[in-house]
Amino acid sequence: MKTTSEPMPEQAESNKNPVQGKGKVKIPRQPMPEQDPRRRRTNFEEVPRGYSEEVAMLEASRCIQCKKPGCVEGCPVNINIPAFIKQIAAGRMIDALLKLKEQTALPAVCGRVCPQESQCEARCILGKKGEPVAIGRLERFAADYARKHGGVPDPVKAAATGKRVAIVGAGPAGITVAGELARWGHEVVIYEALHLAGGVLMYGIPQFRLPKEIVQFEVNNLKRLGVTIHTDYVIGKSETVGQLMAEGFDAVFIATGAGLPVFLGIPGENAIGVFSANEFLTRANLMRAIDFPRFATSPIRPRRAITVGGGNVAMDSARTALRLGAESTIVYRRSKAEMPARAEEVHHAEEEGVEFHLLTNPVRIVTDERKRVVGMECLRMELGEPDASGRRRPVPVKGSEFIIPADTVIVAIGNQANPLVPQTAPEINTSKWGTIITDPQTMMTSLPGVFAGGDIVSGAATVISAMGQGKVAALAMHRYLMGGEPPQL
Amino acid sequence: MGSISLTIDGRTVEVEEGKTVLQAAREAGITIPTICDHKDLNPYGSCRMCVVEIDGVRGYPTSCTTPAVQGMQVTTTSERLTTLRNRTLELMFSGHPNSCLVCPHREACEKYRPKATKAARSTRCGFCANREECDLRTMALKGGSRDLYLPTLYASYNLERDDPFMDRDYNLCVLCGRCSRICEKIHGKPAISIINRGKWARIGTAFHKSHVHSGCTFCGACIDICPTGTLTDRFARWQGKPEAEVPSTCIICSEGCSVIAQSKGGQSMANIMTGFNPEASLCALGRFGYAQIVNSSQRLLHPLVREGEDHIPSDWEGAIQAAIEGLQVCVGATALVISATTTREDRFLYTQLAEHLQATLLILPAEAANDDPQIREMVGAVQQGKIRGLLTNGDFLSADLLRAANFSLVIDCLPSTTTSLASIVLPAAVLSETGGTFRTAVGTVKQMAASSRAPGDARPEWQILCDLGQALGSAAFDFSRIEAVTPLVSDDPAPAAIDGDPRQNVRELIPRFRGHLLADIVPALAAFGLPATEVAAVEAVTGAGFAILEKREIVPNMHFFKIRAPQVAKFAQPGQFVILMARETSERSPFTLVDWNGPEGWITVVIEEVGRSSRELASLKAGERIAHVSGPLGLPFPIEKKGTVLLGGGCYGIGAIFPLARALRQAGNRVICTIEASSAYLLFFEEEFRAVSDQLILATKDGSRGVWGGVQEVLAQVAQEETLDQFIAIGCTFMMRMVCEASRPLGIPTFVALNPIMVDGTGMCGACRVSVGDQTRFACIDGPIFDGHSVDWDELALRRSAYAREEVQALSQTVDLSALIYKPESDSCGCGRK
Repeated sequence: MKTTSEPMPEQAESNKNPVQGKGKVKIPRQPMPEQDPRRRRTNFEEVPRGYSEEVAMLEASRCIQCKKPGCVEGCPVNINIPAFIKQIAAGRMIDALLKLKEQTALPAVCGRVCPQESQCEARCILGKKGEPVAIGRLERFAADYARKHGGVPDPVKAAATGKRVAIVGAGPAGITVAGELARWGHEVVIYEALHLAGGVLMYGIPQFRLPKEIVQFEVNNLKRLGVTIHTDYVIGKSETVGQLMAEGFDAVFIATGAGLPVFLGIPGENAIGVFSANEFLTRANLMRAIDFPRFATSPIRPRRAITVGGGNVAMDSARTALRLGAESTIVYRRSKAEMPARAEEVHHAEEEGVEFHLLTNPVRIVTDERKRVVGMECLRMELGEPDASGRRRPVPVKGSEFIIPADTVIVAIGNQANPLVPQTAPEINTSKWGTIITDPQTMMTSLPGVFAGGDIVSGAATVISAMGQGKVAALAMHRYLMGGEPPQL
Repeated sequence: MGSISLTIDGRTVEVEEGKTVLQAAREAGITIPTICDHKDLNPYGSCRMCVVEIDGVRGYPTSCTTPAVQGMQVTTTSERLTTLRNRTLELMFSGHPNSCLVCPHREACEKYRPKATKAARSTRCGFCANREECDLRTMALKGGSRDLYLPTLYASYNLERDDPFMDRDYNLCVLCGRCSRICEKIHGKPAISIINRGKWARIGTAFHKSHVHSGCTFCGACIDICPTGTLTDRFARWQGKPEAEVPSTCIICSEGCSVIAQSKGGQSMANIMTGFNPEASLCALGRFGYAQIVNSSQRLLHPLVREGEDHIPSDWEGAIQAAIEGLQVCVGATALVISATTTREDRFLYTQLAEHLQATLLILPAEAANDDPQIREMVGAVQQGKIRGLLTNGDFLSADLLRAANFSLVIDCLPSTTTSLASIVLPAAVLSETGGTFRTAVGTVKQMAASSRAPGDARPEWQILCDLGQALGSAAFDFSRIEAVTPLVSDDPAPAAIDGDPRQNVRELIPRFRGHLLADIVPALAAFGLPATEVAAVEAVTGAGFAILEKREIVPNMHFFKIRAPQVAKFAQPGQFVILMARETSERSPFTLVDWNGPEGWITVVIEEVGRSSRELASLKAGERIAHVSGPLGLPFPIEKKGTVLLGGGCYGIGAIFPLARALRQAGNRVICTIEASSAYLLFFEEEFRAVSDQLILATKDGSRGVWGGVQEVLAQVAQEETLDQFIAIGCTFMMRMVCEASRPLGIPTFVALNPIMVDGTGMCGACRVSVGDQTRFACIDGPIFDGHSVDWDELALRRSAYAREEVQALSQTVDLSALIYKPESDSCGCGRK
């Protein structure tokens, strides 16, 4: 299939029936081809291989193009899902991408890491009786197709407004805001503390789930839009937010993320071999320790690794540990039903051979005389009454202590807001958790002209929710700067 | 030749005529101390440690150069001789850094300094890289005097790192001449010799050429014969003394040189020569490259079986089963393509297997590539279907060949195009991981010894072949030990000799090992012009880097950088640090800011060369660019008027206390600074400190300048004379710990800048967590400066050494390090003409 915006007549014909007719529901949801788990547990290549054009078109043909699409409501950035799927079904892959790009700066990323099963796909009408349309896989397909084949026209930009906007942090929220505001004609400068832009997409999410080339491709797209990115620039340590405003920026968006790891607070936690998931993953991903010794950062080479936690970061850590050669175990204090991780991630981890110790709570890290980890003492738990989060509260089983042998413990129980910017911007109100308080309608902070979004506002959440907040903020920022609605492009 | 008899220390000794007095004494079991003497070198008489008294001979002749004569009366031990030797040793120590002997903190240092750190520093506090094998130190500790009275007169030479395999620190050289003498003995035309005169005499190359251009063959003899830490193997030196030394044979090429294989913890460290003579000489590959091949991080670890597009890791049983299923289908139509770089036993078994499979057997020379004419001839046969199955033990088969064949089996140690396309890949143990025998090009049969452990599931080829043969139902493969195969091998032909002699010319090294380009496995070999596969450089994805405005090695191993970094310079405050990355592939390493100028947009740092990252930085020059400079980071130190403040800095900490001293003085404090180093020649920034302190006190661990000792001795002195209101110490963990112990009973508020391992430096990863009081703090955002009396030093020291093993590996297996250090220069002699 060549990239044409005009469908060839016979294809349009052949696709017509499945899209419009009644027989379409019979096409089953197309499975994602994946690397064999026996092989992938030894490499860092991406696990799902992506749809072929034929499969993508077949899957796209399953969409019944609802009049009132629930999927769009389920999407935090309101992508016009039926519209982009329609383009794929018709073989107009580049048009599909352009449809996506109207609402998301990062389709290749979202298609991979969004929890579609609880967002768009959960609202798909087909899911009521059978299986929902594989929206995420199709989104990924359209983005990958365009990246591989090129031919994407340069995005349309509005005339320059003369307004300057500073964005602090080049993660999902910052990138989203930068993309929107740049298209609307504002001059955008991003400040990134690390040496590569991308934030959690670079340091957190592993290569096998989100290849780093894709992130850098998207970052380069931003540069093509005219966005300036200063890496190695630590706002809060160099300019404060107040100074940025004083230096002539008309608005500032703070998106510094939830970069402060939470530890367990149990004895032995500073032993050699205990890592925050952030450190473990940053070494492997951003610093490319998986390419050691070509890259100089030391990898962690666990033999027996325990990851504490049940979220996506825990799955990423456990699966990375596995790939670095370890017998990898997850310890989680509730049961599988309460795991916040995506079902697909848990499934992948299980397939690859990660062992799960559920209803298990760590109480102590066991160390040798050199302060190296030799194991972790745990307590068995049972589920009691639901707690504030609505999940059944785990209750320890008395006398059930046991030790899991390990040389590495990875703590993946969450992150708090990174303090660097809030510390140096006393004018901005923060919550007791250190997150920035914003107006939910506009994402504006207590300092006029300063907006914030992503994990620095919501605490550790998902890539897509950060992007969703970015969308809200970008719109509010444009209104704040221009006193009117953004141009229709 | 007749024998003579003489008397040594009252004992009658019979020796062959022509022996020296030293040899005679040794034969009689009498020990005379020596430095420049070596059993494989001619007597030289330069160190004068072996002096003796001989009746009727005036003065104190050196026993190594004095021939034994019939009836001679020799005394080897007397009070006068002891005094004389101690003075000689002292003279030697006046030119050789000696703080490892005389430092007042020696015992505490031995106790607290982690054993396995990468800090096997060259010219740093106390201990040199070779401390476990320093003859000089051993001698002094054994019996010699440790009271040194003479002033030290150290040279201050920059470290030499301009070749692919060796490091040279001539500050440690005692001019015994062993290295240049062995070089001359082995090669005839020595690459190194004593150059310059008098005080400036030193070892060097002609016209100060780099070793790559000096005619050096990199046989390593100079390193192995050096009695001090002057000359070292850049990689093996970090690992200390080998645990095992086993005679074996290098089979990388058909020369089959005899070697002594050194190993530690089951890991190959290096091959050294079997003796210091021309016949035992090794090439650069055999001496230095061998261990890097064996220890390559690319090694194949598990059997792989193809299922569709994927290679699925398998156990041996499954892989062997799959292999014989593939081979059985191709009986009568299989070709075996085998490198001559295998043992005789392996080759015998390959021959057996070829017979069993009615296969063609092709044995390729050691340096063969996959465009070998014999391979090209095979393409037709494969395309016509005459050959359907392929079995090889290297990277010999072209992609066309592999795609055309029905089945392909590779038994090899490293990944390649061949393995990526093969049906089945079996990981082989190679070189020092396997025993057996080898027939050299001249026909000699030599013994190999298994001296290191194979990685992962890799197995020796003979064992793999026996498994295959047995599974194929042949009785000819029933062996459980390689020794059982050896007697069956006879009349095996000698392999063809290689072109040229790499032992005399590094440019004649063979380019391949089992078809793999050697420079891909041992990147340093590219320095000799060996071809390597182009590796896509890591894209400079972000910005154009930060210009280095000025760069000097201020004292050996300590590098001063002035870098253009306006965003840091504008906001920096005393006590803060920056994170540097020399290149896109480097680590993020923190360095304390020394000075900065906001309007001019520059910062300065002092970088101590320790491991790979600092080495990558150190190899940059003024005018070049550092990939990343991130900062300022950390909390500034609160500058307040306290009264009298003492600041102590050691090593890199000398730079780190500078901005604090300046700011504290500006705030109206009386500022006393003290800087310590292991010796006078390692002190720096004296002038700078005089300008920012009311009083400057120098301290050296060897007493060569200022106070004998370090910051803690100065602290004790100063505290007796005046009241100290604040004390700040920055240096290595050991130093800071010791000074905190010293200041605690004095009740002086003490601050230290902690130096744990960091990754991001912005609070994100928690790698830098330290225990201060009963709290866990992040040094990057809560520090780096903390109350020294509350720090858990044991934890900090242990956490700092967590990656010691990887750090050594990073150095020895780094891909671009040597390429970076090696800068080609013209081949002119230096006189200006070509």
